[in-house]
Amino acid sequence: MAGGTTQPAAAAQVRRATTETALVRWILIVTGVLFIALVLVLPLISVFIEALRGGFATFFQSVTSKDTWQAVRLTLLVAGIAVPLNVMFGLAAAWAIAKFDFKGKSLLITLIDLPFSVSPVISGLIYVLLYGANGWFGPFLKEFDIKIIFNVTGLVLATIFVTFPFVARELIPLMQEQGRDEEEAAISLGASGLRTFWHVTLPNVAWGLLYGVLLCNARAMGEFGAVSVVSGHIRGLTNTMPLHVEILYNEYDFIGAFAVASLLAGLAIVTLVAKSLLEWRYGDRLAGGRKH
Amino acid sequence: MTITVDGIYKGFNGFPALRGVNLTAARGEFVALLGPSGSGKTTLLRILAGLEFADGGRLRFDGQDVAAQGAGERNVGFVFQHYALFKHMTVAENVSFGLRVKPRDKRPVKAAIDLQVNELLRLVQLDRLGNRYPSQLSGGQRQRVALARALAIQPGVLLLDEPFGALDAKVRKELRRWLRRLHDDMQLTSIFVTHDQEEALELADRIAVMKDGRIEQIGTPAEVYHQPATAFVYEFMGNANRLRCRIDRGRAIVGSLILPAPEHPELRDAAGVAFVRPHDLIIGDARAEGLEARVRQIFVAGPAIRVELALLANGDMLEAEVPHGSPAGELIVPDKLVTLTMTKVRAFPDAVAA
Repeated sequence: MAGGTTQPAAAAQVRRATTETALVRWILIVTGVLFIALVLVLPLISVFIEALRGGFATFFQSVTSKDTWQAVRLTLLVAGIAVPLNVMFGLAAAWAIAKFDFKGKSLLITLIDLPFSVSPVISGLIYVLLYGANGWFGPFLKEFDIKIIFNVTGLVLATIFVTFPFVARELIPLMQEQGRDEEEAAISLGASGLRTFWHVTLPNVAWGLLYGVLLCNARAMGEFGAVSVVSGHIRGLTNTMPLHVEILYNEYDFIGAFAVASLLAGLAIVTLVAKSLLEWRYGDRLAGGRKH
Repeated sequence: MTITVDGIYKGFNGFPALRGVNLTAARGEFVALLGPSGSGKTTLLRILAGLEFADGGRLRFDGQDVAAQGAGERNVGFVFQHYALFKHMTVAENVSFGLRVKPRDKRPVKAAIDLQVNELLRLVQLDRLGNRYPSQLSGGQRQRVALARALAIQPGVLLLDEPFGALDAKVRKELRRWLRRLHDDMQLTSIFVTHDQEEALELADRIAVMKDGRIEQIGTPAEVYHQPATAFVYEFMGNANRLRCRIDRGRAIVGSLILPAPEHPELRDAAGVAFVRPHDLIIGDARAEGLEARVRQIFVAGPAIRVELALLANGDMLEAEVPHGSPAGELIVPDKLVTLTMTKVRAFPDAVAA
C-alpha cells in the first residue's frame, strides 16, 4: 500500500528539462487565457448578447426582414461562386508550383500573395478603375451593356481577388513537403496524370484543402472593404451581409446590426463545427494524411 | 528483359550528372550501381525508369528503343528510397494500384485483382496486414509493400533506389538475402542503387562502380574487389592504405619491399601509389625486414584488432587488422617500434591514381 502511493508521488517530482517553475507557468497560462478571453471569446459573446438585447422577438424581426434576407442570399451567392472558383485556381496554382519546375515560379508565388499585401479597399478601387463607367474598359462594357461595378459580377470579382491566396497558400507548403515521390510512383505504375492527381495528389492534401476552403469561405462571406467599394450599397440588390451590418449600424439600428452580425458569426461557427465533425468522422480513413 | 544503355548523357542546369554511360544488364541479372552521392547513380536509375529523360544516348529494352516512352509505358517496377507508399490507401489498395489503373480492356476483374494482391502479400510475408495503413507499419514492412506494389504490374525490370538505406542494420541484412531469393525465384532483371559496397558485394551479380557521372568499372563482385581498375574503385570497395611506390617491370617497390605488380609489366620506374588492405598488412618484429613503423592506437573491440601505425619514413598513418589471438598480438603495444610487410598490394601509376 505504502509503495503504491509513494511511486506516483516520486514520478510527479521528476522534472522535465523543458519545464518552468510554477510561478512562470502560472503567469504564462493566465496571460494566455486572459488574452484569448479578451480578444476572441468576449467579442464573440458580446455579438450574441447585443443581438438578443431586445429579446428574441426583436431579434427574429431583424433577421427575417426582407433586406436582411436578401443580404444573406447575396452573401451566399457570392461565396458560392467565389469559393469554388478559388478552390480550382488555388489547387491548380499549388499543384503547378509544388510539383513542377518552370521559369517564373517565384514571380507566380509573389503574385498569389499580392491580395494579402494590398489593402482590400485598393483591390475594390482597382476594379472600379478598370470596369467602372469611367474606367479603362468602361466604354467597351457600355457598348455591350455589361454591368460589372455596382452589380453582383463586381462583388464576385472583388471577392475572388481578396480570397485568392487562401487555398493556394494553404496547399503550397503542404504539397512541397510531400514531394513528388508518390506521384512518380503512380506514374510508373501506369496511372495517367489526371488519375494520379485525383487518386494520389488530392487525397494527400484533403485536410489542407478543407482548411483552405473554410478560411476562403469565411473571408468571402465576411469581406467588407473591397466589396464595399464595388457594391454601391444598393439595398436588396448589391448589399452583402457585412455591408448590411454597416448600414444598419449607421442608422442606429444596433439590435438589427448585431442580429445580422450574429448570423455571420453563426455561419463561421457552423463551418468550424463542420470541419471538426468531418475530421472526427473520417479521421482514421485519412490516418496517414496531415491534419490541422 | 535485357537492358542496354548506350552513351547516356544528362545535365542539370549545365552541370553534367551523367557523361556517356554504357551498361548492359542481361535477362535475369542483378546489377548494382555503386558510388558515392553525386556520382549519378540515382539519375541513371531514374532515366531507366522514365522518371527522368536523357539529353543524349540510347536506351533499349530487349533491343527496342524506349528513350521516348514515358514511365507508365515501360513496364518497370520502381522501388523508391523512402518507399513512396500512398499514405491514404491501405496496404492492399497500394499493392493493387497498378492493376486498378490499367485501361479498361486490360484491367483484370476485381476478384482476379484481389487474388493477385493476396498472392503478392503472401510473397512479401504481409498476408494479414492488407487492411493496415502504411503509417501503421515498420520500415521493413513498408519496404516490402513497396516491393509488392512494384511487382504487381509484372514488370520486365525491377529498379530499386537505395532499397535498404532507411532500415536498421539487422533488418537490412535479412531483407537483402530475402530480396536476392525473390529475384532468383521470380527470374527478374533487377538494377539497384547503393552507396554501401558491402551490400553491392553481397547482393549483385555484377557491380557498376560510378564516379562523377561515369562508370569506372563493371564486373563481378570478385573482379571489382580483387582487380579494381582504378585507385578510386580500390578505395571505394573497402578500407585502404596508400603507400608511395615506384612501379618497375611488373613490380611495385615500396621502400625496401619489392612486391609483385603483374598488371603493369610495361612501366619502367614510374612513380605511383600502392594500395594495401588493412588485413593484408603484416606486423613483424622491429629487427625483421620491412617498413619501420610505430604503433599509435589500438582498438580491440570488434571482429579483429585494429591498429593505427605511423611510418617512420614520412609519418604517414596506416591501419592494420590483426586477428584476435594471433602471434603478432604481443608486438601490438602503444609506441612500440615494429616493421610492416605485406603479401598483396595493388599499384597504380600516378596518372591513373590521381
